[in-house]
Amino acid sequence: MVDSRKLYIDSMKKKFQEKPEDKKTQFYNYGTWKQSKSKSKFVESSKKISAERGIPGYNPDVGLAQGQRLLMPYQLSHTDYIVDMDDIHFMNNAAMQQLWDDIRRTVIVGMDMAHNILEKRLGKEVTPETINHYMELINHTMPGGAVIQEHMCEVNPELATDCYVKIFTGDDELADQLDNRFLIDINKEFPEDQAQQIKENIGKSTYQVVRVPTLVGRVCDGGTISRWSGMQIGMTMMGAYNMAAGEAATADFSYAAKHASVINMGSFMPARRARANNEPGGIPFGVMADCVQSSRLYPDDPGRHTLEAIAAGAVVYDQIYLGSYMSGGVGFTQYASATYTDNILEDFIYYGIDYIKDKYGDFCAAPTTKDEIEKISTDIGVYCLETYEKYPTVMESHFGGSQRAACISAASGCATAMATGSAQAGSNAWYHSMILHKEEMGRLGFYGYDLQDMCGSSNTFSFRSDEGLPFEMRGPNYPNYAMNVGHMSAYTGIATAPHAARGDAWTLSPIIKVAFADKHLNFDFGHVTDCYGKGCMKEFMPAGERDAIIP
Amino acid sequence: MVYKAQFVPGESIVSKNRKKYMDPEYKFKKLRSLSDEDLVLVLGHRAPGEDFKSVHPPLDEMGEPDCIIRELVEPTEGAKAGDRIRYVQFTDSVYFAPITPYQRAWAYLHRYRGIDTGTLSGRQIIEARERDVEKYAKELIESETFDPARTGIRGRTVHGHAVRLDENGLMFDAMQRYIFDADSGEVKYVKNMGGEPIDRPVSVGKPLPDEELEKMTTMFRADGVSITKDPEVLEVVNAVHWGRTFGGYKSVNREGQ
Repeated sequence: MVDSRKLYIDSMKKKFQEKPEDKKTQFYNYGTWKQSKSKSKFVESSKKISAERGIPGYNPDVGLAQGQRLLMPYQLSHTDYIVDMDDIHFMNNAAMQQLWDDIRRTVIVGMDMAHNILEKRLGKEVTPETINHYMELINHTMPGGAVIQEHMCEVNPELATDCYVKIFTGDDELADQLDNRFLIDINKEFPEDQAQQIKENIGKSTYQVVRVPTLVGRVCDGGTISRWSGMQIGMTMMGAYNMAAGEAATADFSYAAKHASVINMGSFMPARRARANNEPGGIPFGVMADCVQSSRLYPDDPGRHTLEAIAAGAVVYDQIYLGSYMSGGVGFTQYASATYTDNILEDFIYYGIDYIKDKYGDFCAAPTTKDEIEKISTDIGVYCLETYEKYPTVMESHFGGSQRAACISAASGCATAMATGSAQAGSNAWYHSMILHKEEMGRLGFYGYDLQDMCGSSNTFSFRSDEGLPFEMRGPNYPNYAMNVGHMSAYTGIATAPHAARGDAWTLSPIIKVAFADKHLNFDFGHVTDCYGKGCMKEFMPAGERDAIIP
Repeated sequence: MVYKAQFVPGESIVSKNRKKYMDPEYKFKKLRSLSDEDLVLVLGHRAPGEDFKSVHPPLDEMGEPDCIIRELVEPTEGAKAGDRIRYVQFTDSVYFAPITPYQRAWAYLHRYRGIDTGTLSGRQIIEARERDVEKYAKELIESETFDPARTGIRGRTVHGHAVRLDENGLMFDAMQRYIFDADSGEVKYVKNMGGEPIDRPVSVGKPLPDEELEKMTTMFRADGVSITKDPEVLEVVNAVHWGRTFGGYKSVNREGQ
């Protein structure tokens, strides 16, 4: 467990090389974009590209002169990585791309329905041996191998090194007999108490975790992922259990593999924001929280798990979804980075944890009442506001009001969620914090804050359809949530926080939590910001490369 | 009993300053003078002496239909003349600029007619017919709501409100629209609101001393008046929050639970 320790002060010293408390500095003498290694390199590359193709490209001299003030580097929270600002744009960061690729290309398909069809309808035997045989076959077909058809065009395995299928179950006896090469072993991957919680909830059910090749998601879309998976599973079932391609039960297998037993990471979205399954707008906050694995690696540090979930949400929801799917351009990265850099939100969260321990003795011990929510939100909110005011470099790091609003309300929301054990109470505190912030500073964020953050409290305690949802099940597709950067990352934190504080093994789904407890994933979901740092340093090896088919 | 508007809660100097700005009966103190030509140069919407551009004929010539709303609402001068819509936009530093974005919006809505105003953390825009904009902008720049060092007149590239101050106490501006003239001690605009160079520098006067700004402020701050020292403000924050929470969709039955 990490105590509140004002690590941001050290980050500020490294960033600015000036006293964090000073209100004054110098401008206009940093040499514009030339002060930045990455921008200087961009200029050099662009000159070459422009000369080769004969069309001008990137040229910071024709835009607003970047670098009139210090182009701040950023320290990735709870790491030692200090990185150039450009390196946290997802286009420049292979790890961030892989984070999203690894979520999008995952489909979980229950095996119980298929096994029931085999046993009860067709009278075939399903044993650990037949399951292991199936797993071997599916790991041939999923990357693009043919199993029951002949004369097929197959996929070069070098393009699908990241593709495989694993299996897990809550049944220890069955797990013991499954081929270790395919098994996600709950007992090995989770602390004992968490493993126990998970197994009790999964029971004797068996699930296969499908990782479709990264390239499929990039060339097609998230909807293709579950179709690709469904088709290969259907073919493999027929191959593994020697079934006729045309028999009626095949339709049941197909239905199970493509629909009935499928758990997508993201749900289908309505026409106004139309995207298929497994696209970021359809991912509930609780799913994002369960993809992140700090809860099992650092079970005594709920602050870390909350912050790591926020960091994942910032990139997938803010930088990739809102920043690119819904908008485009370069502004969203700067905004979203506030929640996972420079240990600022880190300090706010750990301050909240200390506050809870001091005031209530333990997590989840505060009553979920109006007065308590307002008290926690006010105390945490004032601490955060005053941090910005006491340390002008912290204010300058979060030079947009939206950044500050996101971090302050995230801190109030997460602390309230941890104190009460309720994400609904946490979300209510988020909105209280927004009003407090607006009243204190006389300013808040950009226009959007006048809408969702002023009216959002009215549905914080409602579960009824069309009026609300349990907070863990809300996502970008929830009314008003898809409008503003810096919100959904923090909402992920608010969904995560009470479960992390309670010692829950998962936030929304034990099945998704287990599916991502997988060391073969390219992105390290247990060390999110660290992985971003590797991406910034060009030390991260992604999947989906096309070396095998290019000159 | 005649109702007396409180405008905003609180008893602190910050709250009192807020009430003052929002009270339309209160006349802003005039701290400096700006000629009409200087104003036009800084705004950059038209050249000095140039006629206002119009988007429709004067209302008197339009033969408007009978309409009770038209009869009730007296058009502004700009609307009467058919002026196009233009704007003035201010950036207020967190370091004790006299007014804040929300205070601007609330004050404008109590004081000015025919406006559309938008509020962000780092800028606050007021849109209206062009001659009305010039009238409002002149009043604002000449008044106590404006400080040459901590208030910026910026159409775009507005960042700076939360950035530290330069050695002369001026707010950062990536377009360097203004400079500090050490000889006169005045702040001079060398570019217009949109960042285009202007023919001659326009002085907006000397920055106010820090101690003066701290007395005039409408923002609570850790190094000024803390919001925690004004309990009525916190009480109203809670009342607004709970009103919205309890007045909305709810799964609870008893207030306070």
